[in-house]
Amino acid sequence: MKHIVYLSRAVHPLTDFDLQTLLDQSRKDNARNGITGILFYSHGNIAQLFEGEAEVADKLFGRISQDGRHSHVRKLIDRPIAARSFSEWSMAFHPLAAESFEALQGFLLPHHVPPTPATLPTADALLVELVRLAVFGPDPSQPYQTTVPTF
Amino acid sequence: MLRQLPAGVATLEGPELRYSFVNDQMLELVGKEPLGQRVADQPGQLPAYFLEVLPRLYAAGEDYTAQACTCGSKHCYDLSVQPYHDEQGVVAGLLLLAVDVSEQEAARQRAHELALTTRHLDARLRVLTETAPLITYTTDAGGKVIYVSPQWYRFTGQPPTADLTAIWPLLVHPEDRLRVLFESEAGRRTGTGWNFEYRLRRYDGAYRWMLSRSLPETHPPEAPVFWHGALTEVHQERELSEARRRGEAELRFLADSIPELVWTASAEGLVDYYNHYTLEYTGLTKEELGPTGWVGLLQADEQAAAARRWVQSVASGTEFEGEYRMRRHDGVYRWHTIRARQLSDGSGPRWFGTCSDIEEQYRLRQVLQTQYDELSRAHHNLDTFVYAASHDLRQPTNNLRGLFEELRRSVTFADAEQALMLQMVDTALSQLDATLVDLATTVRTQRQLQEPVEVLDLALVLEEILLGLRPEIMQRGARMEVLVSEAPGLRYSRANLRSVVHNLVSNALKFSHPVRPPHIVLRSYLTADDQPVLEVRDNGLGMHIDNPAHPVFQLFARQHTHVDGTGVGLYLVQRIVTSQGGHVTVNSTLSEGTTFTVYWTIPAI
Ligand SMILES: Cc1cc2nc3c(=O)[nH]c(=O)nc-3n(C[C@H](O)[C@H](O)[C@H](O)COP(=O)(O)O)c2cc1C
Repeated sequence: MKHIVYLSRAVHPLTDFDLQTLLDQSRKDNARNGITGILFYSHGNIAQLFEGEAEVADKLFGRISQDGRHSHVRKLIDRPIAARSFSEWSMAFHPLAAESFEALQGFLLPHHVPPTPATLPTADALLVELVRLAVFGPDPSQPYQTTVPTF
Repeated sequence: MLRQLPAGVATLEGPELRYSFVNDQMLELVGKEPLGQRVADQPGQLPAYFLEVLPRLYAAGEDYTAQACTCGSKHCYDLSVQPYHDEQGVVAGLLLLAVDVSEQEAARQRAHELALTTRHLDARLRVLTETAPLITYTTDAGGKVIYVSPQWYRFTGQPPTADLTAIWPLLVHPEDRLRVLFESEAGRRTGTGWNFEYRLRRYDGAYRWMLSRSLPETHPPEAPVFWHGALTEVHQERELSEARRRGEAELRFLADSIPELVWTASAEGLVDYYNHYTLEYTGLTKEELGPTGWVGLLQADEQAAAARRWVQSVASGTEFEGEYRMRRHDGVYRWHTIRARQLSDGSGPRWFGTCSDIEEQYRLRQVLQTQYDELSRAHHNLDTFVYAASHDLRQPTNNLRGLFEELRRSVTFADAEQALMLQMVDTALSQLDATLVDLATTVRTQRQLQEPVEVLDLALVLEEILLGLRPEIMQRGARMEVLVSEAPGLRYSRANLRSVVHNLVSNALKFSHPVRPPHIVLRSYLTADDQPVLEVRDNGLGMHIDNPAHPVFQLFARQHTHVDGTGVGLYLVQRIVTSQGGHVTVNSTLSEGTTFTVYWTIPAI
């Protein structure tokens, strides 16, 4: 088992439809491949943590980093883990039409993201906190405009 | 036969030039059913100037050809006219031949336009290549220089007659020459281009960094024959980036030479550089540490709080500072001050952090703390000793007083002076006793300063205290008045309140005026700022106060030497009250009375 964390920038701001497509597609594939974790999206800023069997996770990262919907994929950590910290895969973002998303499986409003699981080592939990801050800003209940620097 | 000709044919008969024969092709030019009509009446698409010349041709019997006449909007014809004669050789009419040359004409037009465009392009290219702030050049597959733009001559100062192929390598800086020749040759050989920088000698002899880029002109499937390229001066950029590279390298070198943990982090708080010493201290690689690995080096129970502090700092851009134990490569934890500050400049905010080893200071602090604890223990023991000693001394003092009393009763003195001496001994003994009592009280009060605090019912507590002073009150016939309705409760330590009130009231009793019985008022109220106050007013002797708002009471300082006392009481009162954050003021008029006002400060919970 391993987990991977990356930051990236959407090539175009993703619409509600784009996000829902991504949510549906990824949730289905992830459930099949035994991938769990969380994805943060706001105003083109993307961060994701996912965990799974090493080969599966590496292959997924390969696919994700080639995905034309985003660029500047910056892998922050890629490490073996003893056990999972997330029970499923979900996505947190601010849709324009929040009502139509509320009932969707695997969707979370950024300020409803549960606290970072205690099973993560502090260093990794801190990393998740920092990328969440980078994507959503200090107040996750408000849409955040600043773009994550890319280099 | 005339009908099948791939050209329009018509005959115009007689001086009126009436159509007498028109083939199908000609119909397109002159319109339907022309036979018998005069050409002037039905000219069809024939141009006006052509119609004008026809009668003159008939009259003169001459040939005529007009090339590429525009007839109508779409077509173009070569028109030729030939008179024909009757048997007598007289002109009988005109034979009209029209060959459609629209396509040839369009092609010719296109060719013309193309030529114009080419000329424009050519001119534009020349203007651009000759005015742009860069040198352009062309070489062939053999490396022969075919063309350089005039800027090259201006830059190098070479005459226009210079042999380009021979001279240019000589103008390249000797250190760069071989590399440049090799790379351009390689670019030509592989059919690709090149992109490299080198130093070129300027007209004034100075070498300037140039960027040379070139691409082959390709016409597949043939191999490229020409390479076109541009040379741009990049000297300043190169020097700047060189300076920056050098600056960065120097900074890194500096950071790597410091025996201190140094790191930098991106705006998001992700560490992207650890100096050499960090890796040495932790025994971990940059990859093992990762962007947040530092937090894992802290003592386990301090990690979560440190992580929270860091997230807060990153969110708000405020400085991070804290003292933490950090694990060394051998597993030993050493105290460090971790500090990080954000630098915001043109290239976006970045974090710079250090972890300084403060193990030694920490140890020193601990030693100091131990010594302090020992000292305060010694102090306490001393207090206890004084207390015990004063206590133990009272017994023999009392015994002595009793013995003297006995002595006075049983022995008669002849000399009156001796009786007086005896009296003095007795007085001295009582003073000794009082001093011992006060000493014990002082020590006890020191300890009471840490007494527990509770909400006191003043009416009850004051009554209790006055009860304890009953003998003195009775003896002096004092009138006591207790007014607590304005502020009936007080948060304070019971023992401290007792000490304060006891001292003030017994003081008031002690320094009563000889001619009138004491009248003592105790009043509890709140100031405008809700500060609780106790006022103790008497009608006694009064005293001299230097500064009533900030009276100073010294230990063993006494004003009325004729009255018994050790001068400890007021000192104690002030000590207790100020140690709890309050203060005492005094108002006094000699032989009229004194008012003590105690401003309690409610001790913080
Ligand atoms: C930001 C982002 C996150 C993605 N996350 C996942 C994911 O968690 N799981 C997944 O299967 N695909 C994810 N994808 C989609 C993959 O990149 C890819 O489109 C998908 O796996 C299908 O790949 P394929 O078309 O090569 O089969 C993500 C794409 C983007 C842009």
